[in-house]
Amino acid sequence: MPGLAPGDSAGGVPDSVNGTLVPYSSDSHVSAIYPLRHGLNPPISRVSVSWGRGNSLRVSVFRQPDSDPKSDGEVGGRVVEVTLGKSRDGEISDAQWRKIAYGSVSPFALLQSRKNSTASLSRMQLSPSPYHLEWWEYVMEYSKDISSLLGDPKTALAPLIEDPNEVFPKKVEEPSSLKAAWELMEMFYVDKLSQAWLPERLVDWLADYDSLISIDLPTVHSKLVEFQNQIVTLQVIEDDPRYWDLISSALAVGWLEIVVKLLRLHGSYRLDQLGRRETENGLVEAVAVLISKMPRMRPAIDAGKIGECFKAKPDFVKAWERWRAQITKLDSSAFWVQCDHRQTREGLKNMLQIMLGNVDVLCSSTCHWMELYISHFLYIRPFTAGLESMYSLAQKCIRLKHTSNPHKLMRLMIGILGENNEVVLAECSRGFGTWMVAHAIELLTAGSNEADILVHEEREDLGGISLEELHRLVYAQLLSSHLLTWQIAPIYLTSCMRQGMGLLEILLLKQPVQENQMLLKNLEICRLYELDGISSHLMEISGMYHWKHGRKGCAVFWLQQAHDEVRLSRIASQLFDSVGKSISGESFKQWEGLIELLGSEGQLAGGLNFLHKYRDFKKCLQHAESRKDADAARQAVESLMSLMRNASTPQRFWLPILYDAVKLLSWDEGPLINVSQTNLLLNKLQELSVARLRPDFVEPELPTQALNHVRYSLGTNLGRAILGEL
Amino acid sequence: MEKSLATLDNGTTCSSWNYSGQRLATGSVDGTLSIFDSGDPASTSFKCTSKARVGESGVVKVVWIPPLFGDAVACIDGNGSLSLWEEFAEDAQAVEWKHSKSFQSNSAKVLDVQFGVFRTILKMVVAHSDGQVKVYELSNPLELKIWQLQAEFQNLTDSVAKLAKASCFSASISWNPQRGDGQEMSFVLGFNSDTPQLNSSKVWEFDLDHQRWVPVAELALPEDRKDQVFSVAWAPNIGRPYEVIAVATHKGIAIWHLGSNPDTDGRLSVERAALLSGYEAEVWQMEWDMSGMTLATTGTDGLVRLWQSNLNGIWHEQAAFEPTT
Repeated sequence: MPGLAPGDSAGGVPDSVNGTLVPYSSDSHVSAIYPLRHGLNPPISRVSVSWGRGNSLRVSVFRQPDSDPKSDGEVGGRVVEVTLGKSRDGEISDAQWRKIAYGSVSPFALLQSRKNSTASLSRMQLSPSPYHLEWWEYVMEYSKDISSLLGDPKTALAPLIEDPNEVFPKKVEEPSSLKAAWELMEMFYVDKLSQAWLPERLVDWLADYDSLISIDLPTVHSKLVEFQNQIVTLQVIEDDPRYWDLISSALAVGWLEIVVKLLRLHGSYRLDQLGRRETENGLVEAVAVLISKMPRMRPAIDAGKIGECFKAKPDFVKAWERWRAQITKLDSSAFWVQCDHRQTREGLKNMLQIMLGNVDVLCSSTCHWMELYISHFLYIRPFTAGLESMYSLAQKCIRLKHTSNPHKLMRLMIGILGENNEVVLAECSRGFGTWMVAHAIELLTAGSNEADILVHEEREDLGGISLEELHRLVYAQLLSSHLLTWQIAPIYLTSCMRQGMGLLEILLLKQPVQENQMLLKNLEICRLYELDGISSHLMEISGMYHWKHGRKGCAVFWLQQAHDEVRLSRIASQLFDSVGKSISGESFKQWEGLIELLGSEGQLAGGLNFLHKYRDFKKCLQHAESRKDADAARQAVESLMSLMRNASTPQRFWLPILYDAVKLLSWDEGPLINVSQTNLLLNKLQELSVARLRPDFVEPELPTQALNHVRYSLGTNLGRAILGEL
Repeated sequence: MEKSLATLDNGTTCSSWNYSGQRLATGSVDGTLSIFDSGDPASTSFKCTSKARVGESGVVKVVWIPPLFGDAVACIDGNGSLSLWEEFAEDAQAVEWKHSKSFQSNSAKVLDVQFGVFRTILKMVVAHSDGQVKVYELSNPLELKIWQLQAEFQNLTDSVAKLAKASCFSASISWNPQRGDGQEMSFVLGFNSDTPQLNSSKVWEFDLDHQRWVPVAELALPEDRKDQVFSVAWAPNIGRPYEVIAVATHKGIAIWHLGSNPDTDGRLSVERAALLSGYEAEVWQMEWDMSGMTLATTGTDGLVRLWQSNLNGIWHEQAAFEPTT
């Protein structure tokens, strides 16, 4: 059955290339070869494989057996395990992964149950009540829940005493590309409210994740961080060309608060220089004020950020034109001539060019194509709404800032902008792993009908399942690989219409059952998903395990729970066999317990009925013997008679029973068994003598003289009984 | 990336994991069977917990018996004899690996053995070097001592024909890993022999009405029927409408689709979905993962290869591992 690759790009685990829908001939495909270190000395004679839990592959490597006695003690082989498809690039630790895996279960399950109830509503052709949320709003809630699991790259609260040299706000934690990818998917496919101000959302996104988007080239972020480390060593900051370059770069990507902060480090603000550099300072401040008044087409702005917000487009357009006019006016002002400091004059003029949307200046002020792209929205195409021609603009920016090794986030971005759902899915899987693709499908399908059709269409090539199901199965298999996560796999498997239950059954059948606690947990999962057949199977395996390990009581218990009549009746017949042998005190105790356990249920009833009576007889006999108790002896006689009268008492037990009864027959205080009873026993003995002549008769393990001994005792008793009854 | 689970003694030649991946059985040239356990299910370090001498000559193959019949293994030794061993404890005594049963054969060696479960019945298929296939059934599910020979046949599509004794080098058997009770028992079997008719992989199904094993499909194109088969592997099926079986010959690894509805002759439809070639080495072993989506193989080139199908149903090599020091 076709499957999705174990996707990983780093960490030495196979990379997924077949997540794409682009067909290729198998000949041209060259797969990667990964080293598998076993640490053995050559020569290696053989390798063998076995699949462990989920995706873990166990490889046994055998050395050529050594006949040289000197090499005694040399290791003969090693078994190593590789888990495939772990989406790990060092960014997220195993423990964090498990936290994400566990945390995403309840949002996922909630969304599935909402999906089911919405589907049943529409099946009943009921219109959803007006109080119901739109579907995308549910997905939005889901998206926010998941997003919060992926870390929070928001900036820390501003410290009380601000360090003037600290231009770059500290992050609480390092941003993760997984969260960055999730946010991209959310903003493009789910969040309908932000569609109108998508460019501004992209500006925010870049501010959060600019540190991630490039593998080998610098970004505005990396240059800013580098510069910040050197600020304290600079005497006259405005003389340094990097200062002005960085201010322009930060302005180009819209990090206005950083720009203003950097501007205020300008030397003309210093009290001792204010007098001499009044005009210069005026110009710096004028630019800073203009920047802080930049109109932004967005509903609100985060605390600490600057700009003037406009919700409605007409207001924004008006404000934008007014702002632009002020810049143009400042640009042509006469004050520039009076500014003696060349770097300041040129730097500020350059910033005005950025704000006026000069393509060349924007291009030289940005490093990465994404930065250039964002600067286009800010200064060249501020009125862009929705996705209109965003893709062609992106291509233009990529041409201008080409990189041969694009980051996985950028590959995803291109897929999204190109509105190619297949590429988006493939990039999610390839770059971010099976967790991402299994969960992000919900975001993708909330956004478009085409995506919905793409992921829900049942494909013959996939054995009749949809892409959505395939990705969930693959994720569930990955979850099954670890002892701490396999128990959440059922939640994903049961959301798969066609093949999920099949995989769940296999998963459960592979769980070890030796430990009771583990078994109970597995049985609980079976009960939850109504897998009665599987739970019986697990109980049978457990029963057999205990049986073979000498814990017969446990074995019978679990076999009974499993209603395994075949094995139980085998056990019952084994009991018969052991009962048939002469019984010492110890083994009597043991099978007595088993008889108790086996109960008297079902088809075993006939045989077990006998065993129960036989047990009662033996008990009374023991009492009578040990305590010389006449009452107990009389009870034993009653049991004896009921046993011998009962048709279900197997013939092969007659002699052992009668042999046991010899003690009663020779009771010192007088005969316990009357004439008619003795006659009955004698008749049985006669019948037995005849039966012994048949070839299939099984001789009980008793002393050879047992029969004669019984006959003699019965004869003696008959005599005593006749005398007693006279 | 790779994690070491166990270190094996000098002379170890084969290994096998049990159903849950919690126990490892290995066999060695001096005829020792070793069992490795981790103690704690969370631990991934396996240590040898018991050893038993199972034969005079070396062990060449160890196969676990399904867990429904206890913790037990079948061992094939260098002389080609087959013995069954199980972990057993008499009441309150220490656990021991004990001999349960030996299958002696006069001249033919045992090449492969595999177990299949149907409800409470355990069946064992044994392939011999003279080309004979024997199917045994366990009489008492509580003990591995008494086996009944249920059928004996040759791997031929024409069940009436009989061939003179063949000479086979290896054989590969794989049971249909079905879970439901709806299906009949079936397995696939291929030989590597000097008798061309025996070689090609055939699917055998138990006909309940007539109480006999019948060949229901042959997994080879007409021109490939004489090819010697190195290994076969029947994939788990979690809901596909067809079965998937991998067959390795010197031409490569063929992925076969087997239909579920028989035609009027009782034959099942077959289709070769892929031939994974460009793979020079002779295949030693093939193993499907739990979902039947990924096939892992080993071979004479010493590499572990992983094969998958892409979204268009095209099979290809997904990755390979090269064992290195």
